[in-house]
Formats: sequence, C-alpha cells, structure tokens
Amino acid sequence: MAFHIHRRSLLAMAGIAGAAAVVGPARAHRAEDGTIRIGLVAPMSGPNARYGSFSLRGAQLAAKEINDAGGVGGRKITIIPGDSQGTPTEGVSALRRLIERDKVDYVIGDVTSGVTLALQPIAEEANVLLLNAASSNPTITYRAGKGGMKWTYRNYPTDEVRALVVLKYAAEQRKLTKFSVLSVDSDYGRGAIAFTKKYLPRFNASIVTEDYYKEGEVDFRSVLAKIRDSGAQGILMYGLADTTPIIARQMIETGVAGKLPLIGNGEFNAEVTIKAAPRALEGAIEAAAWLPAWDNPRSKAFVAKFAAEYRESANNHAYVHWETTHLLAKGVAAAGSVDRLKVRDALSSIKYESAMGEVTFDDHNQARLPMVLLQIENGAPSIKGAVSGEIEYPRT
Amino acid sequence: MFWTLVEQVLNGIVSGSVYAIVAVGMTMIFGVLRAINFAHGEYYMLGAFGAWVAVEYIDLPYPAAVVIGILVTALIALAVGWLIMQRIVGATAETGVLATLGVALVLQNAVIFIFGGSYKYFNGGYIEPVTIFGFMLAEQRVLIIIVCVLVFLALEAMVKLTWAGKAMRAVSQNPLCCEVVGIDVGKVVLQTFALGACLAALSGALTAPVNVTVYGGMGEIITFKTLPIIIMGGLGNVRGTFFAAMILGVAESLVATYIGLQYRDTVGFATLMLVLMWRPHGLFSTRARF
Repeated sequence: MAFHIHRRSLLAMAGIAGAAAVVGPARAHRAEDGTIRIGLVAPMSGPNARYGSFSLRGAQLAAKEINDAGGVGGRKITIIPGDSQGTPTEGVSALRRLIERDKVDYVIGDVTSGVTLALQPIAEEANVLLLNAASSNPTITYRAGKGGMKWTYRNYPTDEVRALVVLKYAAEQRKLTKFSVLSVDSDYGRGAIAFTKKYLPRFNASIVTEDYYKEGEVDFRSVLAKIRDSGAQGILMYGLADTTPIIARQMIETGVAGKLPLIGNGEFNAEVTIKAAPRALEGAIEAAAWLPAWDNPRSKAFVAKFAAEYRESANNHAYVHWETTHLLAKGVAAAGSVDRLKVRDALSSIKYESAMGEVTFDDHNQARLPMVLLQIENGAPSIKGAVSGEIEYPRT
Repeated sequence: MFWTLVEQVLNGIVSGSVYAIVAVGMTMIFGVLRAINFAHGEYYMLGAFGAWVAVEYIDLPYPAAVVIGILVTALIALAVGWLIMQRIVGATAETGVLATLGVALVLQNAVIFIFGGSYKYFNGGYIEPVTIFGFMLAEQRVLIIIVCVLVFLALEAMVKLTWAGKAMRAVSQNPLCCEVVGIDVGKVVLQTFALGACLAALSGALTAPVNVTVYGGMGEIITFKTLPIIIMGGLGNVRGTFFAAMILGVAESLVATYIGLQYRDTVGFATLMLVLMWRPHGLFSTRARF
C-alpha cells in the first residue's frame, strides 16, 4: 500500500519525531572498538509489530547476558534493529541498510516467512550470514544449504512437522476429522494449510470450508457464522498472535466458542489471549516451538530473567531470538574469528545445548528441533509432548 | 439458508455503521476542501488511542474515555486544520493529496514513536453478547448501530437547519461567493475539518472494545475502506455516504460468506472502479454536493 513506501521518509525528517536524532549518530559510522554487530530484521511496526518487539527484547537480553559475561573473545555484541514492517519490500530495504550503512557482521531475521524468503537472495548476494530464528515455512530451508543458498541457516522447526503433529493429535486423540480453515493469508498461513492437506487422507479427515484473513483484519463475524453452520468440528488456524484474541472474542459473540476448538498455531497459549476470551480458547490445540511453561531449567531461567528485565512475560518470539543470539555467539566463539565464512562453517558443525534440546544443523542448514504440542485446559496450557519429525526434502 | 442470509446482512450493517461514521466526516471535509483527506483513518486511530490512554493510564470509565478520545482528537485536528488544512483551500489537487498523506505518516508514526508499534489491549466497553431476534452480537455493536443512526440524523438536521451547516454547504458550492458575502471560509473549513475528525475519533473509540486491540497502524485500513464509500455515496453527500457504507458492509459480509474471507477487501476496490467508470458522481446524486 502507498503508505509503506513513504513511511521510511518520516525518519529522515529528524525534527518531527526526533527519531533520527536518537538513531542517527549511533549508526553513522562503524564501531571501531571491535564490537560484533548483529543486525535484527523484524517487524517493528504494522500488524506484526508484536513479534518484532518481542524478538528485539529477546535478542537484546541475550546480548546483555553475553556482554555481562565478558563478550565473545573479549568483544561485545550490539544488536542493530531494522524494521521490516512484515512486508517483503520493506524487509529487503531494511536488510540492505543493515549491510551497507550499518556494516553488520551477521543478520538474524525475519519473523514472517514471506519476508525471510525475500531476504534470502539478498544475504546470499552479499555473502552475509542470515540466521533465521522464527519463520516456519518449509521452503526457506528446502532451498538452503544443499538446496542452494549457502548463507541461510534456520534455528526454528518448520510447518511441515507442525502440520502433521497437530493433525495427528486432533484426529487420533480428539477424534476430530472435519475442519474449517481460518488462517492468515501469508506464506506461513497458506504454507501450513498446504502441508495439512498433504496429510489429510492419512487420518481420513477433510476440510469443509477454507478462508484466509488479511493481516490487520478485525471483522470475523461473517466467516465465523459460516464456519458455525458448516458442520466442521474444529477450526484449523495458523494465524497471527495479535489476531487470535480478536477472533476468539468474536467466536464467543457468534456462538462458536465452546463448540469448535482452535487447532494450529497463533499463541493460543499466551496468558493475554486466554484472558481475552477464555471460553473460546478452552480445548485449543497448538504446536509451538517453545512456550513459557516448558519444563527445562535453562528455559525457566530465561522466563524469570525476561520478566525481571521487561516486566512482561516472554513469548515464543522472545525466546527463539534470545536462544538464537546465544547460538550465534557460540558459533563466533567456535570459529575463533568474526570472519563470516568461518562462522558459517562453525555453525554447520555446531552442537549447541538449547532449552529445547541439542541443536545441530542438517545439510539444508535446518536445525533439528522439536515442536511442543499443547492443549488449553482450564485456562492454561497443558503440554502433551514434544515431537520431532524428519523433513522430507523435495528432490532437486 | 434464508436465516444465514439475514444474519450476514445484519453483520454487514454492523460493519457498515462503523464505516459510515468515519466516512461521513471524510465526505464533509471533501465538500468544503475539494481534497480527499488521506489522514482520515488516523483520526479514527487517535480516537481509539485517546480512549485507551484514558482507560489504561487514568483509569477512567469507558464512557468518559470515549469523550477524552474525541477531545484529544479535536485538539490535534484543530492544530492540523489551522497549520495545514486551511492552506489547502483553493490549492491544486496534488497539494491536498501530499499534505494529507504527510499528515497521516506523521500522526501514525508519532503514535508508534510514543507508545511503540505493538498491539495494546483495550479493556473497556460492553462486550458481553446479547441475543436480538435470535442473533447474537456484542452489546457494543448494538450501541454502534444506534450511535450511527443518531449521528446521521443530527448531521442531516445540522446541514439543513443551522447557520454553521448552511455555511458548510455554501462553502462546498462556491468558496469565492462565500467570501464576497462575508462567510469566513477559513473558519468554516476549520470547523468542518474538526467535526469530521471528531466523528472518525468517535467511531474509533466505539469500535475499540469489539476490535479488542488498538495499534498505531490501525487507521490505514480504515482510510482505504472509506475511500470507495465516499466516492460511491457521491463526494460531499451525507445521506449517500450512509447508504454507501451500508452497501459496502453488506457486500463485504456476503463475499466473506459465499466466496471467501480473502476476497473481502477486493469488494471496496472493485466497487470503486465500477463506480468511477459508470457513475463518477456516485450512486445517489448527479452532482457532488451536500
């Protein structure tokens, strides 16, 4: 939309918001004190801004911890944010600015799959390591490593695993076989449904209605009324965390709540989401890369630290960016150098102990990570297990 | 089948009411200024944000928060009107587009700069569902429909009966003659602009409880929904805007039901193109006037 193109120019008008005055001098020249500069491309504004804000806080917390412990080989880490606004074009310009103007050493990003897919060729061209921490569309690593893009790594489980895990649980444990789709209209939302369709016959399940919502959509009454009358037993939703409470509240309004559970992903387990519409979230099934209730000492310590630092409970995106920043620092330490190529090679052979288990990368630069399956019971997430699946890469 | 249709038409009227209150302000501003106010959705956002600040930081009850939201927006609108909108009178069309687009960017990013870009939960309003004629909807939505009807009745009366309303119509017809007979065009522009912005703010503050969250970029989508409505309604036509908003709301609802939610936003743009091709003066009048 027209606004996106011009929005950036606002930053240039230093006097108006004062934004440039704050950001400008800090970024103007490359630090000569030998700090390690990590760019973070994430949606800091727009309908995905929640993800960006949590991602940045997670990464900054990790940087602070690393720096407090003496840095990496004596070098401090700085996180330099770039706003993708959740759109590929803005993401690409943010990445270019980070590489060319801010002279970052490595980049972590983006959250949304659509933007990450657009960032990949830019990072590849510039020979800059792009370490993704939060995009789940399988294509990203189908085409990484052996698939072609040598500079993309992903420390996040994919929707292929997620779609199968979720569908299996819904069909076998909850005996749900007729679904309505209400996913976000993006590479993530549509991708996850495409993989769900691949596994439908295995569970004798079917899709009765299929709708995708635009980012920023607030009116779901019509589509929910249709779903309510469609004979579906559950709503397959791979959606945006910020939209979930809006839909959930309208599920109560339209009489869907308590009848059809939400199944998929979209921070169904977040406290604020459940609080906004407890009746609609009860019984929801979700597969997430991480959740605050995950029982692991490292994870628990992170939850406590994050809450102490920001007075807000951590979410999935805060965790994955925190963990990925630590992982990258370990990679730099293992390489014994800030050289991009050496760090890249170090990542390929790294064995990193994360809160979700040991992380190693396969030949497509995809981390082997589990998905946590959970169900909302009595207003709180109850963990049903963590499932890792082998990824079947398409033959190239 | 039939009851599904009735329910979906009702859903359309609910969304149409939200659009109508925003759009009528935009159409009136066009009437006196001959400029599309591309920042109009931002006043909707400011109204919602003002109410959110009142609820969250000052702990005011919801009705008071709505008033605060409108007052804050009125102050900002008066400043924008005095600094920018008054200078657009008689300027070229591009001036209006550039100026209002600029205002939109500044307002939107100022809010993001101050409060951050993330979604904020709006705790207020009357969100419990009630059943009316067998259909469930939140009490707040009933309130929105009632307020919408009242706003339009009041506006109709104002532009027909009051001196200020007559002055608005006069300026929309011929600013030069107004100056000759002693109507202060600048003042009328400022008043109309502030009134339009306040109506958008009212809509924002009323919708926030059912939309659950508020965020800096929320106005953008509303501006793009409003544009086809005011063109369909006949630029500057208050009554036409009301019906155009309802038509768009119902059409969107039916598309979401029978075709797919992903095509919902195409309705507005498709209507815009069709109207511009066959009825450039809108559906309800032959000439763009109040």
